[in-house]
Amino acid sequence: MSVASILDRPSIKRNPVGRALTSTWGARITFYVMFLVFWQLLAMNVARVPAPLETFEFIWTELTWGDHPGVRDGEWVEHLSVTFVRFSIGLALGVLAGVIVGIAVGSSRFMRSLLSDVLLVFLALPAIIWAFLTVMWFGLGWKAPVFTVMLSAAPFVAVNISHGVRAVSPELHRMSDAFGVPRNRRFRSLLMPAIAGYLFTGLRFAFIIGWNAVLLAEWFGAANGVGWRSRLWYDGARYEGFVGWVIIFITIIFLVDGLILTPLQNRAFRWRKSGAAGIELVEMDHAGFEEGRAVRGA
Amino acid sequence: MTTAPTLDETSRRFAGARLRRTSGLVLGWIFFIGLWAFTSSVILNQFTLPGPVKVGKEIWEIAKTGAFIDDFQASISKTFMGFGIAVLIGVPVGYLMGRSRYWKHFFHDGVVGAGSVPGIVYALMALVIFGIGFLGPVLAVGLISMPFIALGVAEGLEGVDSDLLRMSTAYGRTERQTFQDIMVPSILPFIFAGVRLAFAIAWKVEALTEVFGSSNGVGFQIRFAFNAFSITRVMAWTLMFIVLLLGIERLLAVLERRLFRWRTWEQTT
Repeated sequence: MSVASILDRPSIKRNPVGRALTSTWGARITFYVMFLVFWQLLAMNVARVPAPLETFEFIWTELTWGDHPGVRDGEWVEHLSVTFVRFSIGLALGVLAGVIVGIAVGSSRFMRSLLSDVLLVFLALPAIIWAFLTVMWFGLGWKAPVFTVMLSAAPFVAVNISHGVRAVSPELHRMSDAFGVPRNRRFRSLLMPAIAGYLFTGLRFAFIIGWNAVLLAEWFGAANGVGWRSRLWYDGARYEGFVGWVIIFITIIFLVDGLILTPLQNRAFRWRKSGAAGIELVEMDHAGFEEGRAVRGA
Repeated sequence: MTTAPTLDETSRRFAGARLRRTSGLVLGWIFFIGLWAFTSSVILNQFTLPGPVKVGKEIWEIAKTGAFIDDFQASISKTFMGFGIAVLIGVPVGYLMGRSRYWKHFFHDGVVGAGSVPGIVYALMALVIFGIGFLGPVLAVGLISMPFIALGVAEGLEGVDSDLLRMSTAYGRTERQTFQDIMVPSILPFIFAGVRLAFAIAWKVEALTEVFGSSNGVGFQIRFAFNAFSITRVMAWTLMFIVLLLGIERLLAVLERRLFRWRTWEQTT
């Protein structure tokens, strides 16, 4: 605890610069600065790693429709929008399939024993396998990415939904029986609120898995899109272009996750006292904690 | 008036439940394989979706020579070496995060960010840094599993009984003694749990890195099959790998339950 105790010294706490540096924001900013320094050092020592400045220059040129040395274009909007459309369609299909299977598995014991092992195998299948199979089935084009996203995302949604369905207490079901609550009302006010939180947790996993899947499928089986674009630079050994595209899509993932999915999830969970899963590790695995198995893919 | 069930009755009831469960699982597999066979022979064809028999024969072909053992060994040893790196980085990071507010905020974005980056990024980054070879997959596994271990350790430390720490100070225990006798035993299960949780993702990233650049391992074999346009071979290697990994995963879970049986309170929290 020596470092921590140095940070807590009163002499530092009194000094305004010291206070700014040891504040939570100071800590964050220090981390990012250290990260850039580390990256720069890595770039100076490994020939293949592009320097941060070089990479940001590339991103700027790409986003301002400029020409790169030896390459004439700046068609980033086309690639991003193509990938987004494929990703959204695949994710929508995957979520739909996942919800249907999840409700079936969650609400019937027979379906659960029938499908739980099969679901386990599908959970274990890496996205790359789906990418390879769909590329071999459909050839180059939009089908391979869409189906890769769907097939990799669906099992994660299904498992999370089935947990949500099972989380509804049987007492509430029995009470609804006793008071003759109609089916659609039971669905709306008993099942839906219970599932909603799990649905969004599943959606977040599906979101990250889906991105991985769409990039992989485009890498191996498309002629445009973000994955193809990254591969173009990677194959040309222009690693600043490759890293630049990695930064572009990671930024998008974080923006969508932070601005849309997290608020939605918190809203869906707000009726539960402890639902909003404070620490991130809980978010990572609380959804699929059957026998402590992590229900998350890469 | 109902009487409490006797021991005999209870065990019989459990046996019945187990029988029902096992028969359900067997039925599930029959259903699945039947559906697969039906789809491949009636709806599609054996070229598009090779049936269970064809894939089974291919698995036999691969297994017969025994050469697959080298590839499995390579992949699994790379995965576990990656865990070694993850523990080496993750434990100190998690320790700092669990012990101080400053370090918690310092590492927060990095650790959480690292946990939600797609696997393809790690696979390719590792290749850019290390080139094709042995270190790439190891680093990729290390980076993707590190957040699980770091966050687990941090959480474990935050859960350390503060009364116990105060008592140690009151009785004049040295910092080293508290570390050894309180901190380490409370971190250890979290490291293990982190490794087990990370395992499901780690091997996928390991195989992925091998797909992009390697000269051995299961990922390399799958890539090889893809380049040869052999759907059967891709499915055969995948199935073999998945069966092995689910086995290892279950083994890890059993090992964990055994090792940390003394921590009964952990199950309730």
